[in-house]
Amino acid sequence: MSIDGIIQVAGHPSRSFEGLRNYNQEVLALARRWWIETRRDRLNLVFSVIQPAVWMAFFGIGVGRTVDESIIGTSDYIGFMLPGIIAFTIVGNGVSGAMPLMWDKETGYLDKLMSMPIARSSVIVSRFVFQLGLNSTQVIIMLAVATLLGVRIETGVAGILVILVAGGLLTMAFTAAFSALCYRVANHGTFFAITGFITLPLLFVSSAFVPLHAMPGWMNVVARLNPVTYAIEAVRAIVLTGWEPAIAANLAILAVFAAVCLVFGTNEFRRLTGNRVGG
Amino acid sequence: MPGNPAIAACNLARAFGAFRAVDGVDLQVERGEIFGLLGPNGAGKTTTIRMLTTLLAPTAGRATVCGFDVLTEAPEVRKRIGYVMQEVPRALYLLTARERVAMESSLYHVPHGETRTRVEGVLDVVGLLSHADQPFRTFSGGMQKRLDLACGMLHQPDVLVLDEPTLGLDVQSRHGIWEYIRLLQRRGVTILLATNYLDEADRLCDRLTIIDHGRVVVTGTPADLKRSVGADVLQVTTPNADRLCRAVEGQPGILRVATTGESEVHMYVGDAAATIPALMGLAAAARADLDRVTYTQPTLDDVFLLHTGRELRDGGTP
Repeated sequence: MSIDGIIQVAGHPSRSFEGLRNYNQEVLALARRWWIETRRDRLNLVFSVIQPAVWMAFFGIGVGRTVDESIIGTSDYIGFMLPGIIAFTIVGNGVSGAMPLMWDKETGYLDKLMSMPIARSSVIVSRFVFQLGLNSTQVIIMLAVATLLGVRIETGVAGILVILVAGGLLTMAFTAAFSALCYRVANHGTFFAITGFITLPLLFVSSAFVPLHAMPGWMNVVARLNPVTYAIEAVRAIVLTGWEPAIAANLAILAVFAAVCLVFGTNEFRRLTGNRVGG
Repeated sequence: MPGNPAIAACNLARAFGAFRAVDGVDLQVERGEIFGLLGPNGAGKTTTIRMLTTLLAPTAGRATVCGFDVLTEAPEVRKRIGYVMQEVPRALYLLTARERVAMESSLYHVPHGETRTRVEGVLDVVGLLSHADQPFRTFSGGMQKRLDLACGMLHQPDVLVLDEPTLGLDVQSRHGIWEYIRLLQRRGVTILLATNYLDEADRLCDRLTIIDHGRVVVTGTPADLKRSVGADVLQVTTPNADRLCRAVEGQPGILRVATTGESEVHMYVGDAAATIPALMGLAAAARADLDRVTYTQPTLDDVFLLHTGRELRDGGTP
């Protein structure tokens, strides 16, 4: 084989390797930017990290006194609340996590990014990577605070890993969903109007505060259509009950939901940049 | 691909609903040129640029940059262009200059080991190296623009697209940026520059296209374009503009007459010094008072006036 032939044969794999290396470089550079910006916005960071712990302490301890143990099926109300708090911290972070994307879109920096030779998906993927790191850290802090408040996780360390997986799926779903919304709507005012409208029902019509079996029939139906319920049910079993097959089923439903959101989010991004040019 | 023009657009158009922002533009920018797109606000400069930088799909016509089609070969185009937007992106205000440039250098796939040299290199060229670790939000308008220019150069593009690079800057910053643009040209970069500043187009561009209402008005070197207007321009302020115009039109030595506003008359003449005495006589005979008579070399504004019947200066330059 001639030298040219060898170079030709070697050409393709090395080019795709280069593509992958470029992609990693793009995602890391953007994720690093998200991290620097978050770190500089210190007050925002501090408050968003301590908020769930405060919620857990005041709400969990206070409301726990008023709750009928026979309905929630455990005397550990903080343990019962913990999955809901984790899920809604992630939903909330999904809303605030779309803001930098909105900011890029509104200030025109998204255009500058799109004029660069980067993969179209790098922006959303970098945001997901960053949110995954942030949310996982917060989940670990919440679990630590819960432990300090006396919660014992039935499934132990392996359970914590599965909680992180559930958190990751939920992060993927809501990062994608709120990014899609941010690319869809005209401005941040509309974005906040819509997210403000949907986040509370997502919370109240889920099993965060009330177990599914204790809900009235209609509410049970709606709660079962709410994907957040499946994250809560999975994590609740891990924390309170121990390993059971329903955990896998709930995570599978969550994974499907995350995949749907991802497709939706990618489509919205393509629609926005496709009115421009794809590639 | 040497041999290809840096930018070629053929009947390029973009409509937004019924509104034709760009309505069939032809451009040919040669390699190594500083090429100007001159026109009033809303003429279609930015829309043209957005199509050439692959941000907006044309609704008709086609364009290539370095021989690559902006629609079908967008990734190849993006590798070869630098784009400096009209407004400095405020999105990055929390980053320092160095952090921003380093991030963009990664997005242009500058190898990790070279990042530091490359970043410091471009910051040095625009004179910001000593401010590298200052937050971007503390920068003045001129510094922000220089930082933007530095970012546009990171990957050593073949073509640099600048949208109103000196908009809103003070005189000193403008001169600094012009110097920098000339330096890039000496390094072999082709520059496409959109502007509504006449002096900027005149001083900086090798060639330019004047566009108005999404269409090409005229293309040429600044000198040729001005020569086409006439040798000298007499600017006359008079309360009797109509009467004066009738009196001087067609007189020997007066090539063309145009009114710009109620009391302002521009006369394009072969030789101002020789025509002024004749003008005095004609004005007196027509009972037109002359409040003021000045004469200048033609400017690009006169070129614009000649072709569109309007002054570019009225076009709302901020």
